[in-house]
Amino acid sequence: MDNNCFTPPRSKTLLAVTEISLASLTAFQLLLSGNSEIWQIIALSFGVSVSAIIIATPVALIVSFTLAFFQFPLRRTLIALFNTFMSIPAVIIGLTLYLLLSRSGPLGHLGLLFTSKAMVIGQILLCFPLLVAMSHASFQAADRRAWETAITLGAKPWRAFFTLMHELRFGLIAAVVAGFGRIIAEIGCSMMVGGNILHATRNIPTAIALETSKGEFAQGIALGMVLLVLSLSLNAGVSIFQGKGELRA
Amino acid sequence: MNNLIEFHDIRIRLAGKPLLNITKLSVPMHQCTLLTGRNGSGKTTLFKILSGLLKPDHIRVHYQGLQMNWRQAKPYIQRDVIYLHQQAYLFDASVADNIAYGLRRAGEKKAAAQRKVIQALDWADLTHLAHRPAKQLSGGEKQRVALTRARILAPRLLLLDEPTASMDGEAKQQTSLLLQRLKAEGVSIIISSHEAHTVENIADQHLTLDNGDIRPLKQSAAHDKVTVLNPLKNTP
Ligand SMILES: Nc1ncnc2c1ncn2[C@@H]1O[C@H](COP(=O)(O)OP(=O)(O)OP(=O)(O)O)[C@@H](O)[C@H]1O
Ligand SMILES: [Mg+2]
Repeated sequence: MDNNCFTPPRSKTLLAVTEISLASLTAFQLLLSGNSEIWQIIALSFGVSVSAIIIATPVALIVSFTLAFFQFPLRRTLIALFNTFMSIPAVIIGLTLYLLLSRSGPLGHLGLLFTSKAMVIGQILLCFPLLVAMSHASFQAADRRAWETAITLGAKPWRAFFTLMHELRFGLIAAVVAGFGRIIAEIGCSMMVGGNILHATRNIPTAIALETSKGEFAQGIALGMVLLVLSLSLNAGVSIFQGKGELRA
Repeated sequence: MNNLIEFHDIRIRLAGKPLLNITKLSVPMHQCTLLTGRNGSGKTTLFKILSGLLKPDHIRVHYQGLQMNWRQAKPYIQRDVIYLHQQAYLFDASVADNIAYGLRRAGEKKAAAQRKVIQALDWADLTHLAHRPAKQLSGGEKQRVALTRARILAPRLLLLDEPTASMDGEAKQQTSLLLQRLKAEGVSIIISSHEAHTVENIADQHLTLDNGDIRPLKQSAAHDKVTVLNPLKNTP
């Protein structure tokens, strides 16, 4: 934007700093004024990620409990597989899902590509292995006596499972928070299967990446601040919660 | 003598090796049985089978006039038999909530359960600990809470896995007192232990688990009034 090649470097820096300060100011204004576009993006982001975590968590808890408490063929293979899937880049999952959902793909007739539903599916796939791997570690390390005590005191297996989860709540909540952290900030998958369509599939990460590149700094900074505050408060919340847990033990 | 429950042909293999092959185990009504056996002889495994926590390869259960296989017997034994771990496990909740656990699972309303818990705490002299987080208790206190938590469910048979291991003299005495009360209330008890003498004065029969099978050792002290009065005489 600065075409004057004779401008000395110092004033160039000054200009950038001024621009960022101005943009940050605008960012606050955008957030505080309740700018509908920006809040829509934030709402979509949360809607998609919260739906994904709500759908993925119960299934992941049952799967990880089964992997930890029962012996069956392929158990170890499955555990290794979830541990591997945990580190698959989001963009690879996005690409795979894109190919499945695209018009000529096997699931093309569902018409899900570039919808928020596709983003939810993508984020479920993204957080599921992480949820399973982390909660499996908790269940695996759990004291078997907790389960046996619940059963011998007359709890039905289903109820004993809830008791066990309550005993492990610190580890399990850490797993859910980590899973949520992975998907709320991921960009690769949302971009591929969502397409960053305003009012439809534009979430915080895609907006920051794509709109900033078009010079929309203020919006990018505002959304970045939201993500930052979120991740800081989630981490602080978990630390406080787990600190309480340590005191009990 | 009347038997509460009889177990026949208990067989289980663990890690490919036969561990238990018990022809018959009778649990007399209202009595306390002491079960001794070397480390690894299978006492814990046997208790988990008897309480319905572990499926054996074979078992026949004779209970309340019924001859049952494992699957048929499981609901009965899970209702009437309670297993207590060597080191009691208390849930991450208050002592009172721990004691209420089984009642709540049995569908008891909160207020009714609370009333029973207050009585039970009094029974075990644990009232002062009611609101303490259970995880903070000492081993001996945990064991007494676990006994109270079991008793409140009115079980017919209690299986205690080395209840006095790693306890000092006073804790042993307090546990032993509760066991005596339980027995007087008509609960049948089997206690596994290395140290026969700590509980021998409440045991009516003494069995030993050896080579996978059970055999009687000797008539125990409770039948012999003189030795009850002088427990020191029991020390082998
Ligand atoms: N899940 C299992 N898989 C394989 N082997 C097992 C299992 N559980 C127990 N065992 C083995 O079975 C044997 C009996 O164990 P158990 O715990 O019943 O003995 P115990 O008489 O209670 O011993 P202790 O006096 O030390 O408590 C041991 O050799 C143990 O290693
Ligand atoms: Mg044992």
